[in-house]
Amino acid sequence: MKFLCVPCDSPMKLQSVGPPERGSLSVVYSCPECGYEMAMLTNAYETQVVQSLGVRIGPEAAAKASGTGCPFSGMIPAAEGSQTSEPMPVRWTAAAEARLANIPEFVRPMARTGIEKFARERGALQVDEKILDEAREFFGM
Amino acid sequence: MKHYHDIVGDGGSRILEQVAEQRARITDGLAGVRHLVAVGSGKGGVGKSTLTLQLAAALRAQGLRIAILDADFNGPSQARMAGVEEGLFVPLPSPKGSAAAGSPKVALPRTKDGIGVFSMGSVIPESQALEFESAARGESQTWRATREFALLGEILGAFEWGALDLLMFDLPPGAERSVQYADFLGDRTSFLLVTIPSEVSRGVVARSIAALSKGSNRILGYVENMSGYYCRDCNAIKPLFVADGSPHLGIPCLGSVPFDPELARSCDLGVPFIGQRDTPVAHALEQIAQRLMNSLESGSEA
Repeated sequence: MKFLCVPCDSPMKLQSVGPPERGSLSVVYSCPECGYEMAMLTNAYETQVVQSLGVRIGPEAAAKASGTGCPFSGMIPAAEGSQTSEPMPVRWTAAAEARLANIPEFVRPMARTGIEKFARERGALQVDEKILDEAREFFGM
Repeated sequence: MKHYHDIVGDGGSRILEQVAEQRARITDGLAGVRHLVAVGSGKGGVGKSTLTLQLAAALRAQGLRIAILDADFNGPSQARMAGVEEGLFVPLPSPKGSAAAGSPKVALPRTKDGIGVFSMGSVIPESQALEFESAARGESQTWRATREFALLGEILGAFEWGALDLLMFDLPPGAERSVQYADFLGDRTSFLLVTIPSEVSRGVVARSIAALSKGSNRILGYVENMSGYYCRDCNAIKPLFVADGSPHLGIPCLGSVPFDPELARSCDLGVPFIGQRDTPVAHALEQIAQRLMNSLESGSEA
């Protein structure tokens, strides 16, 4: 979708995107010629269609191009909660955490849960790059 | 007054740019894959997933590098059948070099035989359904298919497919779904269709062929699954369906596979079946796998 300032015959530029509120996004455009501003207010269907494409609107998009968020994160605690006892906490080194942070958001919760389980099974209470490489080796990846 | 195509860019929303970036990530991620095959059928319950896994196993046994992407996100079965329900997702180091070297990837879970498998069944327990956050809750018919294809794109872009001889897509049922996957996956993807020897199934698969034939994806042929019942006591194939002769689907038949309770059991248990070489079922799977590869190789030479 593009917006045109009719009096100036000039394409309008995106200025800001408000966070979704009750399913509606507020996207403000302005005309670079006359400064006229207008807001596009989406309904829930329009908001959802954009989110369903796996994209974000606006300047933040470049930094967050890997997806719209984890669709499954809500399910991971439920799966973990089925365990009878609280597992020992596992610490992540900065380097390992950076590797995890670099992967797309939608697989992060499963990756974290699985790697921590792998570490615990080996008596390790810290996940470092060596553990990550061992996991890969162990599973023949 | 200017029109849409007179204006360069989209004023800053970057939506089209991001969609193009997603496509580029997918193309880059699959650059090392020689062949892409989608296993589909208009009809559900004909054994697409079972055949996908067993053909993959037969080809893996020949030393080929194979992976499966279970694209049936709402009814994933590959995780259980391939024994990767608790598959580990390991983040890999960032690729060295420029941004063109690609984004960080996740290693693909593998079966004991070395088949790479991504299945939503490794992600979500069988007691739960796949859900997406939604601004338009209760109206999923308006957006869900789009979200699922975006997810497929994320999976294709996020995992390390590496150098493969064959990546197989296990599709959900539906003639229209096969066409949607053909559109999304592009011309590189060939299709293998699955039917059973019932007129109902053949009729639905004929519709799948008609729908796919309007596009440019290659249809390699079909497999007739559950083509009789293999009785181990008698060591004989007995009829399972009463259907007339050959189905006349107008595409090559790559072979038929009798139903074998042992194969069904191995799928339920997530253990390999193809090792049972001295059965008609294993022979049939090996032959079909070989014909599939021959067909792919002959097509790539053309």
